[in-house]
Amino acid sequence: MAAALPSALAGDATRPGQRTWLHSLVRWLFIAVSLTFLAAVLLAPLATVFVMALARGLQAYLHSFADPDTAAAVRLTLTTALAVVPINTLFGLAAAWAIAKFEFPGKSILITLIDLPLAISPVISGMVFVLLFGLHGWFGVWLREHDLSIIFALPGIMLATMFVTFPYVARELIPLMQQLGNDEEEAAITLGAGGWMTFFHVTLPKIRWGLLYGVVLCNARAMGEFGAVSVVSGHIRGLTNTMPLHIEILYNEYNFVGAFAVASLLTLLAALTLVVKTLVERTGYRRR
Amino acid sequence: MSITLDQVTKHYAGAPVVNDVSLDIGDGEFFVLLGPSGSGKSTLLRAIAGLSAVDHGRIALHGRDVTHVAARKRGVGLVFQNYALFRHMTVAENIEFALRVRHMRATARRQRRQELLRLVALEGMDQRLPAQLSGGQQQRVAVARALAHKPEVLLLDEPFGALDAKIREELRRTIRQVQRALGITTVLVTHDQEEAFAMADRIGVMNLGRLLEMGAPHDLYSRPATRFVATFLGAANLILARRTPDGIQMGANTVAAAERSPGVEEREVVAVVRPEEVEVAASRDALSSGYLASGVVAEVVFTGALESLRVRLENGVQAPLLAQPDGAAGASLLVTRTQHEQRGFEIHPGQSVAIGVRRVHVLPTPLSSFTACAASPALADALSRQPLLAELAVRMKTRIAMRAEPQLGVPEAACAADGPFVGTTALASQTDCAHQAEWLLRRGAQDLLVVPEHAAVPQRVLIHWMGEGARSATLAVSASVLRHLSAEAVYVGIFPEQSARARAQHGMRELLDARSEAQLAHGLEMRTELRFGDVAQELALRLAEAPAQMLIVGVTELTRFAERFSGLLDGGQWPMLIVYRGSP
Repeated sequence: MAAALPSALAGDATRPGQRTWLHSLVRWLFIAVSLTFLAAVLLAPLATVFVMALARGLQAYLHSFADPDTAAAVRLTLTTALAVVPINTLFGLAAAWAIAKFEFPGKSILITLIDLPLAISPVISGMVFVLLFGLHGWFGVWLREHDLSIIFALPGIMLATMFVTFPYVARELIPLMQQLGNDEEEAAITLGAGGWMTFFHVTLPKIRWGLLYGVVLCNARAMGEFGAVSVVSGHIRGLTNTMPLHIEILYNEYNFVGAFAVASLLTLLAALTLVVKTLVERTGYRRR
Repeated sequence: MSITLDQVTKHYAGAPVVNDVSLDIGDGEFFVLLGPSGSGKSTLLRAIAGLSAVDHGRIALHGRDVTHVAARKRGVGLVFQNYALFRHMTVAENIEFALRVRHMRATARRQRRQELLRLVALEGMDQRLPAQLSGGQQQRVAVARALAHKPEVLLLDEPFGALDAKIREELRRTIRQVQRALGITTVLVTHDQEEAFAMADRIGVMNLGRLLEMGAPHDLYSRPATRFVATFLGAANLILARRTPDGIQMGANTVAAAERSPGVEEREVVAVVRPEEVEVAASRDALSSGYLASGVVAEVVFTGALESLRVRLENGVQAPLLAQPDGAAGASLLVTRTQHEQRGFEIHPGQSVAIGVRRVHVLPTPLSSFTACAASPALADALSRQPLLAELAVRMKTRIAMRAEPQLGVPEAACAADGPFVGTTALASQTDCAHQAEWLLRRGAQDLLVVPEHAAVPQRVLIHWMGEGARSATLAVSASVLRHLSAEAVYVGIFPEQSARARAQHGMRELLDARSEAQLAHGLEMRTELRFGDVAQELALRLAEAPAQMLIVGVTELTRFAERFSGLLDGGQWPMLIVYRGSP
């Protein structure tokens, strides 16, 4: 056996397309390692969330959502995502279009700037807005005179979320659009199509999967953002608490069931986004 | 005319990629733009389609000026090298796209689509996606799509580039058939000369952004006017020869007497000998054509229908060969022989043969070779390595000979070297340059290139002549130089200051005459400028505006030459080519 193994390694294992015992061993080994890793790092924590949320039974779980502050947090998070995601999608499209299709001075600076929110700590992203619009910020006095509140209010939360999430769509689209090139658009133009027609019938279908993926990522981050929002929100229960912030508060109050119940909802919302994305892709592919 | 281009120029990052191209393409003509990559042919095609704007010049389609009309309103059909089909649409949707843009009814669209698919032999493929088709089929769809809206002009940008040889040939035939059937004016861009020959009614050859020559395939092949076209369209041996009253002399032998014309001035010329026009035989007596030299076969390559030989010329032949098509210099001739010829006389490497030439074509270029002239052999050698001169020689596929004149510039002294000045004489720019230039011109040098030590390849060439006698020679020399540069050409007309008002009208007419003569006789497109004042001063002012310029000046007399040009020549920074046509 000791002699058989090296010969098997030298002969069979190096021959591609041959189903030897060694081949299947390697295959199962890789699958097992991946699955174990996934279970330890991803599935176990996720399972914990649901186990903890349902620790006192379904009744207690559902009861957590009856709390008006919790309901307000869910509403706030969804409102923010609904406002931020479309705006960032438009911005990401415009930026990717500009970068992929045109040559202009300062292009590399623009690319770097788009990446900036990914590099900066979210706390600083929030601080920036406090420094700008806070009571002692640059526009603080003016805002107070006009009775406008940005910090510790919805606009501040939206701004901070927008800042943190704006790279996602652009980052997805720039390499894709650069790789796909301009030929199809140019063909459409020579065939007589105008700008909108070219965009909706040629460009958009071409980039739709990349765009969808960018939107999903953007949405996930918008709903889950903690650091930047934490700085600008002011943690006012029932008013400026988003779901992640609310989870922390409940947890600190030793309300574990409540905290994990909201956490499970956030997880479910993320899962739902992924399911929607997959479904859209599926139907898209089936139509082809 | 279907397509008219008038002095179309397009710059990219400061350098012209399309340089003053003027062109008329007739109704129903199949025109091929041929050139190496980077010659500006694709840019020109995109300019016609409206996909890239031009910096200067006019584009007209069927008499309608479309220079500033958007691409979508030009009504052209464009086929791309990589098909550019809409990948998420079916074949049917792709073809109907232009019709949908025009809000055509569904039934009419379907009818037109079926018509087009029949035309490109793709019936029944309507519901396929581009990804499900082969490259050749995709390109057929692209052709059908480009024709859907019945464009007046069809533009094809290297449409066969991504296809293998068999499919390419088949598609070529299809496109030619479709073009003939519809009678649609077509412009095809390619770098493949065989493709150009196979398809074109007329070929335009581009290099360095310039349209060098155009004509029917056969005419361009047998009578090219420029070195570039001679070597780019098929293989060619370029040979420095002498035109004598008896014919074309290569080395010691006069090989062609066909072009006999007694009035012709004896001078050095560049002769083109196609490989298939070279004959090899066992001995001189066995040749049926004019004897050139004897040689040794260096290489035999079997290429199917033809056999390709490289024959090294034996000693005793002074015919200096210029570059071979592959860029390798040296005294070896390229020869191709048919199967029939091979059977008649079998050849092996190392064999001695007699070489004959059946047909010689002489290029009309006035610039044949360079001779670096200086006071000593060492200086002449240094001059021959000057970057601009060396670069020009390489681009013109010619050689730089050397000539030492110890008495250079000494009044009344005679030439030291035997023999007349041959080709273009080169002189280093230094303090006493104007006197040396005059000295050389008075002793028979006709075209004199003065090169400063650090001169680089120019971006702009200023042209001027003093005296009508030098006009056509200056234009011919300018055209020849500019074919090898991507520089823009500017003719500067200069009149004395006091006559500004009286001569303005006359001056303009002279400029236009000069422009049209340059265009008609030499295929040279140039800008024109009118100035008033002293010639040397005005030229110096214009030269001072930007670096990397060159000056070409035609002169007919040498009185006060050194005095007038000492400002430009003595220690000048600009290369200057003096074209002297007068009695020495």
